[in-house]
Amino acid sequence: MQIISEIVFLIKKDLLLEWRQKYAIWGILLYVVSTVFIVFISTGDIPAPVWNILFWIIILFASVNAVVKSFVQENSQRQLYYYQLAHPLAIIVSKIIYNIGLLFILCVLNYLAMTIVYESPVKRLELFWLILFLGSVGFSITFTFVSAIASKADNSSTLMAILTFPIVIPILGILMTLSANALGLITDTAYTNDIYTLLAIDGILLGLAVILFPFLWKD
Amino acid sequence: MKNNWWKILGVLLIIYALLFGVLTPLKPGLPSVYPFNGKSGERLDLTIEGYNTHFKEAKNQRVWLKLADRTMLGKALVANSNNSLKVSFDIPALLPTTDTVASLTLITNNEIDGTSILPSAVFIKQNQIDTLTAINTWANSPLESLHSYEGTAFPYRNVLGETIRNLYYHVSLWFAMFIMLTIAVVYSIKYLRNGNMNDDHRANALIAISVVYGLLGCATGSIWAKHTWGTWWTADVKLNMSAIFMLIYLAYFVLRGSFQDEIKRARLSSVYNIFAFASLIPLLFVIPRLVDSLHPGNGGNPGFGGEDLDNTMRMAFYPMIIGMTLLGLWISDLRYRLAVLRDKFLDRA
Repeated sequence: MQIISEIVFLIKKDLLLEWRQKYAIWGILLYVVSTVFIVFISTGDIPAPVWNILFWIIILFASVNAVVKSFVQENSQRQLYYYQLAHPLAIIVSKIIYNIGLLFILCVLNYLAMTIVYESPVKRLELFWLILFLGSVGFSITFTFVSAIASKADNSSTLMAILTFPIVIPILGILMTLSANALGLITDTAYTNDIYTLLAIDGILLGLAVILFPFLWKD
Repeated sequence: MKNNWWKILGVLLIIYALLFGVLTPLKPGLPSVYPFNGKSGERLDLTIEGYNTHFKEAKNQRVWLKLADRTMLGKALVANSNNSLKVSFDIPALLPTTDTVASLTLITNNEIDGTSILPSAVFIKQNQIDTLTAINTWANSPLESLHSYEGTAFPYRNVLGETIRNLYYHVSLWFAMFIMLTIAVVYSIKYLRNGNMNDDHRANALIAISVVYGLLGCATGSIWAKHTWGTWWTADVKLNMSAIFMLIYLAYFVLRGSFQDEIKRARLSSVYNIFAFASLIPLLFVIPRLVDSLHPGNGGNPGFGGEDLDNTMRMAFYPMIIGMTLLGLWISDLRYRLAVLRDKFLDRA
């Protein structure tokens, strides 16, 4: 119970910080919109398979940039203060939940922006929303944990990219297959298996993130 | 000597597996026949190409064509050489099958080579289908008093040919790599539990050697792919996953390089090693099984095992895995000792 209230409190704190420094969230949202626009200018009309690929590539890069600041946003003294007050589990879980929300907003914005400039090729909208949510969860767990590692180094944004991209590829691959389903590019009746696989991978990574995080902040 | 027996064992196993793997011949096989199609009710003259066969030397050579459970004995056998044999079949007008085009299996047998089989060797087209009459008119000559091959040899497979020996090098490298990576994770966990710097050195040394093994595994696989698939690298899922896997461990070294503080470096790279290893499991074992692949062992493609990996091959394959692992552990042990000595003498100077 103590931990749940800590988690809720830390999420509130993150939201408040985000609200006070609005430029960060606006920056990342603008990042998505301008990337979509650059893609639109340089491609023109694109077929659905390419739409699918571009969609997830934009999400991937925007997410890395959105999450990398999780642990570098606040200075180390203040982090030390949090670590004194809160359980490490509460810190990592609150960051993950917060980033799920952030990445989901990113996904939705990306979808809206791409629907405005291109026509939406999505055939099964309810499945597509589910995929967006699952994608936010998978990306959030991986990126949040790796950003905790990368924040300890000086060149954290480069390190973040090279550490996460290979790890996130299985998740990305499954998401692309699922979203090809939602776009009607392939008809796979057994796509629920893919969803279970994705959830299993998320589960493994979340479990490890929770177990390993206490070792990360003990400086 | 007492503590080094495993190094000697590893080297001996590798030497044994190399010699046994290269020197053992392949069983006789049938790469191809010509022509590979014909019509029912006509005489079919086939030229059979053999590999490691003894058509000329053999006294008791027989050839069959097989369709479903019916077999037909070939006549007028002429051996041009040990690897080339002419044979004639009188194909009946009706075939015991409901297909318009039937694929027949070719079987040869003699007292030196034993039995060799070429599946789907000849395609015969029939003009009308009457299975019942066909079964009655087909002169069945059952496969009887077959000779078997004497001696030690590896199985002959049509696409693979001699490259079947690559199994000992390509596959055992990946096996050894996995064993070493698993040990590295154990050391990383040990480091996080007790903070002993030596455990981190061990994990680092093991991962370095594993990456080298992985590169060698890619290289041997690439050579094999060139022979069997006709290309050095394809967009096949298992190949891509192994490339991604290399990226993960190369990132591990970049991560290590970006910390000056030794304890911080050890702790963070241990954490990353455990996290990366866990994410490898879906990468190499789950995803390749979900999608189609050329590579054996997934996507409905028969892997090695079953009839391809026979006991003769196991005699070289398993020792090679153990030998490669022991050699890798030895090299990593040397690297580990070097790292410990460096800590002791260089950094404190």
